[in-house]
Amino acid sequence: MKSLSKQDFLKFVNNLIADDFFEVHGVKAKGKRFVFAPLDSADELRLDYDVTILPPKKYFLPQYETLLKYDLSKSTVAVEREEKKRVIIGVHPYDLIALQQMDKVYFDTYVDNFYRQRRENTIIIGSDILTVSERSFAASMNAHTVSSGYDLMVTDIGDTIVIDIGTEKGRDLLEKHAPMVRDAQEKEIKKVEKLRESLPAKYKRSLKIEKESWKKLLEKSYEHPIWKELSEKCLQCSSCTMVCPTCYCFDVRDEVSLSTKEGTRIRTWDGCLLPDFTRIASGEIFRKEKIDRFRHRFYRKGVYIPERYNFVACVGCGRCSIACLPDIADPLSVMNGLVERKTEAGGEIVVEIPETKKEIEEVSYVPRSATIKRIEKLTEFEKLFEIELDDGKPFYYEPGQFVEVSILGVGEAPISISSPPTGGSSFELVVRRVGNVTNKLHELKVNDKIGIRGPFGRGFDAKALEGRNLIFVAGGIGMVPMRSLISFILNDSNRDRYGMITILYGSKTPQEVLFRNEIEEWKKKKEVTVKLTVDKCPDGVCWNGCIGLVTSLFPQVRWRDVENTVAIVIGPPIMYKFVIKCLHTMGVKDENIYVSLERRMKCGIGKCGHCQINGVYVCKEGPVFNYSEIKDLPEAFE
Amino acid sequence: MNKPRVAFFDFASCEGCELQIANLEEEILDLIEIVEVVSFREVMKEHSDDYDIAFVEGSIMRPMDEERLKRIRSNAKILVAFGACATIGGVNKIRNQWQPEEVLRDVYGDVDLKGNKFFDVFKTKAVDEVVKVDYYIYGCPPPRDEIKKVITALVMGKKPEIPNYPVCVECKKNENVCLFELGKFCLGPITRAGCNAICPSNGRACDGCRGILSEPDTKCVEDILKRYNLTYDELKHRFTIFNYRREEER
Amino acid sequence: MSKDISINVEHVTRVEGHGNIVLNVKDGRIEKIEWQVSEAPRFFEAMLRGRNYWELQPITSRICGICSIGHSLASLKATEDAFGIEISEQTYALRHLAINAENMQSHILHIGYLAAPDLFGVGSVFPLVNSHHRDALLKIVKLHRLANEMSDLICGRTTHPLTLVVGGFSKIPSERQLVELKGQLNDNKGTLREIAGAIKEVADRLPDFSRETEFIALSSDKEYALYEGVITSTDTGKHIDYRNYRDVLQEYIVPQSTAKYAKHARESYMVGALARFNINSRQLSSDALEIADLFELKPICYNPFMNTIAQIIEIMHNIDDSIDWIDFLLDRGLKDEKPVDFRVKEGRGVGLVEVPRGLLVHDYTFDEYGKCVKANCIIPTNQNHGNIQKDMEAFVPQILDKPEKEIELNLEMLVRAYDPCISCSTHYLNIEFIR
Repeated sequence: MKSLSKQDFLKFVNNLIADDFFEVHGVKAKGKRFVFAPLDSADELRLDYDVTILPPKKYFLPQYETLLKYDLSKSTVAVEREEKKRVIIGVHPYDLIALQQMDKVYFDTYVDNFYRQRRENTIIIGSDILTVSERSFAASMNAHTVSSGYDLMVTDIGDTIVIDIGTEKGRDLLEKHAPMVRDAQEKEIKKVEKLRESLPAKYKRSLKIEKESWKKLLEKSYEHPIWKELSEKCLQCSSCTMVCPTCYCFDVRDEVSLSTKEGTRIRTWDGCLLPDFTRIASGEIFRKEKIDRFRHRFYRKGVYIPERYNFVACVGCGRCSIACLPDIADPLSVMNGLVERKTEAGGEIVVEIPETKKEIEEVSYVPRSATIKRIEKLTEFEKLFEIELDDGKPFYYEPGQFVEVSILGVGEAPISISSPPTGGSSFELVVRRVGNVTNKLHELKVNDKIGIRGPFGRGFDAKALEGRNLIFVAGGIGMVPMRSLISFILNDSNRDRYGMITILYGSKTPQEVLFRNEIEEWKKKKEVTVKLTVDKCPDGVCWNGCIGLVTSLFPQVRWRDVENTVAIVIGPPIMYKFVIKCLHTMGVKDENIYVSLERRMKCGIGKCGHCQINGVYVCKEGPVFNYSEIKDLPEAFE
Repeated sequence: MNKPRVAFFDFASCEGCELQIANLEEEILDLIEIVEVVSFREVMKEHSDDYDIAFVEGSIMRPMDEERLKRIRSNAKILVAFGACATIGGVNKIRNQWQPEEVLRDVYGDVDLKGNKFFDVFKTKAVDEVVKVDYYIYGCPPPRDEIKKVITALVMGKKPEIPNYPVCVECKKNENVCLFELGKFCLGPITRAGCNAICPSNGRACDGCRGILSEPDTKCVEDILKRYNLTYDELKHRFTIFNYRREEER
Repeated sequence: MSKDISINVEHVTRVEGHGNIVLNVKDGRIEKIEWQVSEAPRFFEAMLRGRNYWELQPITSRICGICSIGHSLASLKATEDAFGIEISEQTYALRHLAINAENMQSHILHIGYLAAPDLFGVGSVFPLVNSHHRDALLKIVKLHRLANEMSDLICGRTTHPLTLVVGGFSKIPSERQLVELKGQLNDNKGTLREIAGAIKEVADRLPDFSRETEFIALSSDKEYALYEGVITSTDTGKHIDYRNYRDVLQEYIVPQSTAKYAKHARESYMVGALARFNINSRQLSSDALEIADLFELKPICYNPFMNTIAQIIEIMHNIDDSIDWIDFLLDRGLKDEKPVDFRVKEGRGVGLVEVPRGLLVHDYTFDEYGKCVKANCIIPTNQNHGNIQKDMEAFVPQILDKPEKEIELNLEMLVRAYDPCISCSTHYLNIEFIR
């Protein structure tokens, strides 16, 4: 440990400010509150602050961050890089812990390059808490002190500042700008220890349950009346998530200048309390009710993140309690309430994150350039696009995976790959036009360019299906991803490795049936049964298949060897419940059923948070799931 | 491709919304590159009835206004309600708390105005109470960035994306000290965002000029009102500055 | 001379608000000359009924999009007059900056976008983009942007200001921002001179018309009066008793107008930049007077078309005046002041300011709770309608021999010269709210 006088410390800070190499930020007053902001002089620094309005996450995941810059007239794309070097002074232990949590998420599997670069360019000088914020309960979360996660840690013990060196970067900074620093004396180090030991007593409120036990309690309280009581008062303003150091969901938007030539793709903070958080282009909202969104925030903190990363996504800073007008956001009140009212608990939930093997990969969000090679109009709303990647590199994917189709100036949309993998650089997408991106895509012509990111997600493991009888049940555009797998299996070089194939396909009307010619070819293959049905057939339209829901097809098939049968079901949310009932009646076991789910997906890599089903990311652990993995997740099939 | 033909119209308004077009400054040059302005009474002499997109500012007060608006609707492929007066009635609806005859008498005394079509007023209407509106640009006045965003989207043939979440989101992103902490009652939590929280960022409580998103549950608001010593009636009185429309919809 | 003319311009273009020009001539005899104001009445007085004192500024701001700062200041002054509130020196200085910014913004909009096209022989600014006048247009835009940025800085937003509140400001700029603003103001004086030069080249297209009339504006010993002053008339001198402004500014109804007209010593009078110039020109900055010399404008000028030129002169003065006020604030050092404390009380208050188009009056009466029970506003353009009518009646005979299209253009130019703000002017009277 080192130390120096308060005066010398201020000199140190002023030296940093004078050094043009860095931008120096620190805690300063804003009215009666405090914020992290650029420092003009050391006098502005307020190490005695209680809590800042926004946590330091704003430096690493800015409120608005430009990901790409593009010129539509020249079709050029450039990545925006944050080059600035910064020093941030005054970060409290709870915020340091939150940053370490954020590292785990943003470096997980897909390393977010923007975040990583900002972390590397920033030197963090932490500071021990001197004033405890009214609503904070960091001591109960053991987040009032910390021994890592900083380059330097300063403790203000009066006339002296004691500094703990955390990293080489910190040591170098000190040597260069604070040559007057000396080794800390015993009594100074003792004072630091005493200060830290005295902190817990200063906290007005404490948890009645330690954070390690939150998960167990929450798992038993999914239907506790407290959720309804509190959420009734919720204004859905999402202030709680905005100010939270452990919240980091974001939305991505394209913004084009008035000239319609230059544009940017930016990401900006989003909040799961907002009604449209899970809304997709067709208008469907997957977490509609206020009570579900309100509850989701607590379960993410106390169940989903702990399940995945083994830490509770809350550091007790108290910012959400200050920000919440009806005062219902306080995790301390909620958890203590659940403890005190244990007898009213009800509704069990068990969340297990399916295993997915993935190597670490760096991500920059830049789409790969691709050309539209062929367009085929399938129905009034659907078109087939043959896409070829411009760099000619082979495009490897599994059936069931998806890509993010990017149209600069408009946005991105997740589209399932519809063709079987060939090892070449082209593939097929079938797109239904519902929103801005898909409508724009429909207007494009052959040889027009688009962008592709991916492939993403967990697809079908075709190897695991070998030797089995397969039932494919498709509803509406569910046939689009299914075609990829069916085509692969029915390919002459693969067919013999699989058993009997039954394909049941339901559409709204005959005009909406996809791939009719191909389906005829499928019928001709060995041991393949295909049955089609439509909900209704308008007058004057020719149709010689069945009329009725897809479930009505089940009694029409003579099922054999059900023990060795695997079912693959893809369709609109409402279909699953009924089809799975039929499968159960047949005798198909849960672990022999696969589904593919749709949610709102923006980043495709498990960062933006929109696609979660009780903490399971559809873009990472899905979209293909084994039914037994998710059947007990309340949000999967509601 | 032909540039879309664009026209600007105003009814009962302060013309502050149209002024934002002039306030685009140098970007006006960009604007006339991407659209052809065929009618804009405030800055142009020329006029044409052949336009694709009509921007309508202001509220509708008289039968003669309704007729003019209907003509505009039939000429235009796309009609955009522009500004608070057009989208939600704005301040023009404050007087809807009283009968038109009462208001006329108050303002003009006993002067006989019968038969004078200029004074034949009914209760203020927003534009979509008379004709179908395709898109809305909210605010009093709408932020210049949003106006640019909508025009750009329409020229590019895509649907403009207007926020459906409250001002608090933008206010928190700006790291403002919450006005409630300063003892002021801000309508931000229930007002549509898109203005970058400009009023709270300038120390002023939001008055809801972009429209209330959804009427807050009495349960939500009770506690908050008690804490700030306000009655529900006083809150409703706040609403009436820009949002009297919602009262009428009850 | 036997001639039939029928001119019916509905909704004159390039003016703010809706007004019609009607001219009927039969067999060379003038049958009807009318300036009609057809703007929809918006009943602002009704809007103010029973509202709390702090709501009056945001509501009256919405009377006009261009002079919203002016309405806000008049509203605040009336409220502060009623409650006996004294603002601080810093607030006084900042409000001067605010009113200068608005004057500049409104004038350059009028000169560049509304009036100049006639002088350049085009229908609007748009054709100027690709003509040899493109340079002049870009300079106009540059100055317009500066004025707006200044309004944004001082008032939070140029249209419907945010920081102007009873007793002070809800947020003030930083010293660094004021220093930057001062630099930009200085840099743009050259731009203004170039614009003046460009207008001078085509100034001969301004009709040489003159009709003696009364001019009314505020005047002050301290400065070229905008923020405050005493009602002054070229006919009757100063009128100190501001609360009885109705003795001077007398409104009356006419059937062809939803706005009222006004008179005083004669049948009509004029307010606005030309009126201010005529009354207070010796208080203008020297650089502003240089521009007056360029156009040979001297008091008292009775040509309404020169109102536009008087506006150019005022912009230069606004720039110089603003630089002085910024120096004043920087010398004192900006303080983080809150609006002054005060108690509401029953009573009446009157606020007078000179907005770009002329003298503006807000007159409020409050009950003991600070709610407004009576309100009246006198708008500059109201006061000009009568003068426009009289000018038309005098002007038409002088141009009767011209082709009809030219007569129409000349009459439109006459209306535009006044820079009327018609939406503002359609409200009115003195009303008593029956509770």
